[in-house]
Amino acid sequence: MKTGDAAKPVEVSLHMKSHPCSEASVTRRDFMRRCGAGLLGAALGATSLAGPAIAEYRRGGMIYRRFGRTDLYLSLLSFGAHTDPADRIRAGSGKTVLTEAGQARRERIMARALDLGVNLFDVYGSEGQWAPAARLFKEKRNKVLISLAHECSPQEVDSACRLFGHVDLYRFCSDSLDARTLETWDLLRRAKEAGKIRAIGISTHAERMMMTALTELEDLDFLFFPYNFIHARGDYSQFLAEAIRRQVGLIAMKPLASGSIVKLDPRVKMRTRPEFETVELWRQNSTPVPFAVVAELTKTLDRLADETLCMAAMRFVYSRPFVSSTIAGMFEDRCLEDNYRALTRYAELKKEETAVLEGASRYASMLGANWLPPHYQWLEKEWRA
Amino acid sequence: MKFPLLWSLFLLPPVYGAPAQVDDARKQAGECARCHAIAVVEWAYSKHYEAGTDCKACHGASRGHVADERNNVKPDRLPHQAAIAELCLGCHEKECPKSKKTGSCQDCHHVHALVDPQKQPSTRDERLEQLEARRQRYSQLMQAGDQHVKARKWEAAQSAFRGALREEPRDAAATARLKMCERRIKPGLAGFESVGSTFDEATGLPLRVRVVGLDLPMLLVPGGDYDMGSDQFANAKPVHAVRVEPFYLARHELTLNEWVAIMGSNPGTLPGQNSPQAGQVPVGQVSWNDALMVAQKLNERVDGGGFRLPTEAEWECAARAGGESGEAFDLTAPRAVEQGRPNRLGFFDLAGNMREWCASRMLPYPCRAGDGREASDESGLCVLRGGAYSEPPGWYDPAIRHGERPTRRLPWNGLRLARSIVEKNSLAGSPLANLTRTPRAPVHFPLTQHPGAFVIAE
Repeated sequence: MKTGDAAKPVEVSLHMKSHPCSEASVTRRDFMRRCGAGLLGAALGATSLAGPAIAEYRRGGMIYRRFGRTDLYLSLLSFGAHTDPADRIRAGSGKTVLTEAGQARRERIMARALDLGVNLFDVYGSEGQWAPAARLFKEKRNKVLISLAHECSPQEVDSACRLFGHVDLYRFCSDSLDARTLETWDLLRRAKEAGKIRAIGISTHAERMMMTALTELEDLDFLFFPYNFIHARGDYSQFLAEAIRRQVGLIAMKPLASGSIVKLDPRVKMRTRPEFETVELWRQNSTPVPFAVVAELTKTLDRLADETLCMAAMRFVYSRPFVSSTIAGMFEDRCLEDNYRALTRYAELKKEETAVLEGASRYASMLGANWLPPHYQWLEKEWRA
Repeated sequence: MKFPLLWSLFLLPPVYGAPAQVDDARKQAGECARCHAIAVVEWAYSKHYEAGTDCKACHGASRGHVADERNNVKPDRLPHQAAIAELCLGCHEKECPKSKKTGSCQDCHHVHALVDPQKQPSTRDERLEQLEARRQRYSQLMQAGDQHVKARKWEAAQSAFRGALREEPRDAAATARLKMCERRIKPGLAGFESVGSTFDEATGLPLRVRVVGLDLPMLLVPGGDYDMGSDQFANAKPVHAVRVEPFYLARHELTLNEWVAIMGSNPGTLPGQNSPQAGQVPVGQVSWNDALMVAQKLNERVDGGGFRLPTEAEWECAARAGGESGEAFDLTAPRAVEQGRPNRLGFFDLAGNMREWCASRMLPYPCRAGDGREASDESGLCVLRGGAYSEPPGWYDPAIRHGERPTRRLPWNGLRLARSIVEKNSLAGSPLANLTRTPRAPVHFPLTQHPGAFVIAE
């Protein structure tokens, strides 16, 4: 390796091919080689302090990636905000809280996630999680990044700051650039300027809004966008290239399509676990698909000895170098463990895994949008690659 | 030479006298002379000065050290002991003709003043005596002028300051005092009528004025040197010294009534317009371009023109000089102007109600004269200062900068008009007559820093 290589910034370009499962032009190996060059350069004193920052590093089993142009490093797996619908209790005006048992389970999973190296926790105020999260992380606030999404009013930001000290990531959801969006964005920018928030961004499911946000929202630090092996649009390249050029941090939402990818796994055994009862019900009601397709998918899955379809799906998102973090809702310990295990074997996708994902994608397309929950079926129409 | 400090004592008189040789040396030393006055004088008497070996030759360009006013960055090279000898060897390869030594020049020679150690420097200088006498006459005249000012004898004071200016032709203090006397003898600013009889002692300008034909009160910001920015906020770093010339700033944000009076039309739906005091509510939903248009319209209408948006340096100067407003906002809609408590200078709502457009572009600090942040052909975000009506008190600080596109309108973006000093007798052919924006930034670094509080007269 030449010494000069160390001084070059780590470029993360993207040229996606038409298929969602295709490899990006920068392979994982290239990516790591460049990162390694940067690390070695820094160690040898070849790079100055103002030189390029490290794109990613590994500590324990967890990988941490640089978050856009901020000075933050996010764990590649982060903890989603949604609470388990089975444990929710209505608390008036569109708000919910968790049952005592549900809250205890959630906090146990969060504590385990922290032990595994997860450092980004998304917290919804509307689901009554601000105060429990603040209590849980009170002693470890400097090791945790808190991401909030709420009605962005100055009073909300102030109350969040009172709870958490400061807010690391604050965003709001918007699918179009209207006056309300601009006003809310202006408030967020102001809060950041006043030192109350470290990074500001939006979450959106509309690709047009993604492009608009990049060009129209000043000081945009990050974007939450839906990304999984089925809903990774072929024409993402324009948006992603622009986001990378502007050094906007990207966080992949819905890596398991709102938990629906498990339904595509033919190996999920019926009646073995209570949580698969809904899967069984769905299978009974869903449109029959040719047996050959299921058989082919099962066959390719069987080649992955200790891996599930969900793990392969997570590894698809992990392997994308432009994704700073992958945010997944985890209601069960096994969800967290599976997602983490997928990360520890993090490398380029194997041929078998790619074949599995292609098979599952074909299987899903035959089912139409029925494999998704009703409130996410629009994803299938709008986000099919 | 074992006691270089003793030699420095001999050199001190020329420091105060500042003969021509030292003046030239100061010019050559450039930015270094701003702080290292003694070292530059030492160097001026040295052989190094004659040979053209300047500060950079030994200390490097030291750009970081020059740029950092807080002295956090050291010069590129600051040699000591053996390192000095090593530097000397770069040019003086041969041994010393007297001591026959090499590499120990600093044992006999002062590091800056490489004078002949055997030759006593002269302590008497005729030019110095002349300068002393002139300085004494100047001081006497200035004192006499100030006494006349106290006695309100403006003509006598004017004569004294004119005499002082003859003694020290480019003296800033005498020029300012003379200008003040002229203003008090012939008061009056184009397009303004004075309110009350209070004047700024330093500038002779009325503290409170009103725009003729438009009931728009404006107050004098005396200007001066102050520390701009804050290390607390990311885009307000670093803290740096700026100088602001005196200017007038509207006592309150532009109201709906004033907008209609200037533009002749209602700007449309605005927050707070349904309140009973709608006319007194500051106008919002204003873009930077709209704000410029208001200033332009006012300039067409008012004798002398000169109305514009304040630069961000001017805005921060007014906010800091005025001290804490003590106001709490956190409202759902803007309130009528002049409802709360004014700051020390008398301005209302600098901390909130509406954010206020400034003439400056959102460029990183430090502000430097001519860096283009007030140039009309620049593109990019324009600066807004102050807080909005919806923001709690903790969100405001005079140093916080906010940038927005010049075409974008938001409910809490309004404006507060500023005006340069436009005097009646200087109107003919004055470029200020049609000024809508300051052509050059009035902010510049003074040669020496005078951080401190503003003195507000009367």
